[in-house]
Amino acid sequence: MGRYLMQRLGAAVTTMAAASVIIFFFIHLIPGDPLYVLLGDGSTPEQAEALRAKMGLDRPIYVQYVTWLTNVLAGDFGQSIFFQAPVLEVIADGAETSILLASITAVWVILLGVPIGMVSAVRHGSWLDQGLSGTAMLLASIPTFWVGLYLILVFAAWLGWLPSSGYPSIFEDGGLANLRHLLLPSIALAAPNAALILRLTRASMLDVAREDFVRTARAKGLPGWRIVVHHIFRNAVLTVISAFGFTFAALISEAVVTETVFALPGIGRLVVQSILRRDFPVIQGVILITVALYLVINLLVDLTYRWLDARVELE
Amino acid sequence: MNDFRSWIRRGFVAAVAVAGVSAQAAAEGTLNYATIGEPPSLDVQVGTASIASTISQHMFETLYAFDSSYEPQPLLAASEQVEDDGRTLVISLRTGVPFHNGQEMTAEDVVASLQRWAEHGSRGKLLFKEGAMVEATGSHEVTLTLPEPNGAWKNLLAFPNGGPVIYPASAVGAAGAEPLAVEQYIGTGPYKFNEWRPNRYVELVRFDDYAAVDAATDGYAGARVAELDALRFIPVADVGTRVAGLQAGDYDYAEFIPGDLFDSLDGDSNVVIHRNGAPIFGLVFFNSKAGILKENRQLRQAIQVALNKEEALRISIGPESLWDANGSFYPKSSVWYSDAGVSAFSEGNPEKAKQMAEEAGYDGTPIKLLVSTNYQFHYDQATVFTRQLAEAGINVQLIVVDWATLLKKRGEEGEWDMFFTHHGTVPDPVLITVLNDSYPGWWTTAESQEIKAALTGTADVEARRVAWADLQQLIYEQVPAIKTGDVYSYHIASPDLKNIGDSTVIWPHFWGVSK
Repeated sequence: MGRYLMQRLGAAVTTMAAASVIIFFFIHLIPGDPLYVLLGDGSTPEQAEALRAKMGLDRPIYVQYVTWLTNVLAGDFGQSIFFQAPVLEVIADGAETSILLASITAVWVILLGVPIGMVSAVRHGSWLDQGLSGTAMLLASIPTFWVGLYLILVFAAWLGWLPSSGYPSIFEDGGLANLRHLLLPSIALAAPNAALILRLTRASMLDVAREDFVRTARAKGLPGWRIVVHHIFRNAVLTVISAFGFTFAALISEAVVTETVFALPGIGRLVVQSILRRDFPVIQGVILITVALYLVINLLVDLTYRWLDARVELE
Repeated sequence: MNDFRSWIRRGFVAAVAVAGVSAQAAAEGTLNYATIGEPPSLDVQVGTASIASTISQHMFETLYAFDSSYEPQPLLAASEQVEDDGRTLVISLRTGVPFHNGQEMTAEDVVASLQRWAEHGSRGKLLFKEGAMVEATGSHEVTLTLPEPNGAWKNLLAFPNGGPVIYPASAVGAAGAEPLAVEQYIGTGPYKFNEWRPNRYVELVRFDDYAAVDAATDGYAGARVAELDALRFIPVADVGTRVAGLQAGDYDYAEFIPGDLFDSLDGDSNVVIHRNGAPIFGLVFFNSKAGILKENRQLRQAIQVALNKEEALRISIGPESLWDANGSFYPKSSVWYSDAGVSAFSEGNPEKAKQMAEEAGYDGTPIKLLVSTNYQFHYDQATVFTRQLAEAGINVQLIVVDWATLLKKRGEEGEWDMFFTHHGTVPDPVLITVLNDSYPGWWTTAESQEIKAALTGTADVEARRVAWADLQQLIYEQVPAIKTGDVYSYHIASPDLKNIGDSTVIWPHFWGVSK
């Protein structure tokens, strides 16, 4: 186990190093100038050049890379050009929203996707299955921004039960009650993802149900629920978990549309806006941290495999 | 896709209107303003973004401020004396005006601020040309010495966007070319900086020791009384959310609502529409430094003749109350309004254009038009123009990029022949970017330089108006840029906001406003 973790760690460091090169140079390949975005349309070229020199953005690109990497290794991700604040502070603020949103969404996804998928698989071919699968397909196909806007309409504008947008940190006034700001966005974001997990649970359970050992279990006269839970679901769950791992990572980095509709200060919107503003230090920071996050989640998924299925070898 | 989204938006807004939304009470005394996006630095000496001006005008003040008829009135200044034919300006400052850090504003702060603006400010060079200087000539008196008289001096000192707002000397000392750090956001305004949370909000709170000028509020001039406890500027990028959030009572004010929602919102009693008093206008710059249009004035004129701007405005903006096919660079209500040259504004005559292009020796070479999709009306109008020019046999190649790329590329003279941007209403023509020698487009013909000198070289208002009319005429002849017509932005407010009045002159402001 120790050796396995060391191997994984080595691979992770290599991946991160490669990612840092790719991120840095690719971002600087995009045309566009952060200083004009900062100074606005009416600014003069002399003004932009003076500022460029002051910020060190006029140095050769490889010099900038080495400086950046050295600082990152020392835990300093630099200053945001646009916000004039430390990159880590900007990211940390967005991370709270994103991680909480992804977690609440993940709870919805599991609570809805897995049990309904199981019911659908057990009753496959029935009206119930067709109704549930059909609903899932519908949810998967409706654009998130549309679901989001209508949730705002009904629950915020119409009924006035929940706030329409924004998210004040749980560390501020309001405390945990602020989580109600994330209820509507998490539902909007969960809809397509729960549908995906539902379909996947159903499909992999149906696959497993055709295996010989399931037939043997039935022939032995085991109770139906026991076969479903212990034989079929236990074997089908591996596929669902690996899909869920990636879904969770994606929920953090790709929730751009939901964050935009609900005006949430999350990572997804931060990175898209930063790309539009060419705020290089923020883009680099977010992507590097996201790569690290994917690596960690991937590792956790692999470890979970081992825990769930003794046949999986971690070597 | 855009049609689809706008269709959904319209249905959505109509549904909200039908539902008869009741606004729920928000935090007492805080005005929540939904902005279209995050502001860049609020240091408006160096930055020219509109959103930064909207926010910071509550914190930072200028020596003069415009009244509702765009006449500059003293704000931090008390009075002035013009000597030596306008080459020497002695400005007395008001006494007992405290900064947000408690220190009293003195001549030292004003000198430091003006010097920094002169060197690093976006528009500082317009007043502080080579040889100009500013010095303290008393504890509350500064003297500006100019090499030549500058008729626009008071307008330039009153315009806060990229303008000379007054900071404490201690704040500007370290800044130089770099925008001020947030800790240095110290001004004399009725609201003071409290907090900036990236992606969440910028918050200003009332400055209890504010020293208001002893005059009635009039436009940006006169007393600025902070009635509210705090102003919160919240980035809400999605327009559907800005509208629904206002209707739900989460926001009190939401800016920049698109034209396609105008009719449905206009009849909604839960929403008050504020149309901006001052229009913005699209500008298509022509490259005077390189490329096919460089010295080919006749080809530029052919392009101008081909365009039907009214059609482009109708398609790109929509409701007629939100646009005006006005060729003058100023609306009719302005002292700077002139109809010189405007008969060439929107001829829309493809046959004539075709003939002119042929005479100009045009051989069908693609003309590169740089445009961004970040501003929908730029792209929509550029698309209409491309089709209109094709009818005249003029081959336009649209280069569609994002705004940050456009800002970079337009500085590279070989990359483009025309580019699309827009311009706000400015209180003095010297602030119009077409007249700026170093602004991409680089219009520096001998004729233009001569009239520009006449425009700034005198303090006589009538002579300046004549010079500006001549310049506008010249713009339609030499075509350094094409004005595409006036667009009136509109914003929506909660009916609970009181005394909001004409506060949308250029940038909405909230002194005097309560709820």
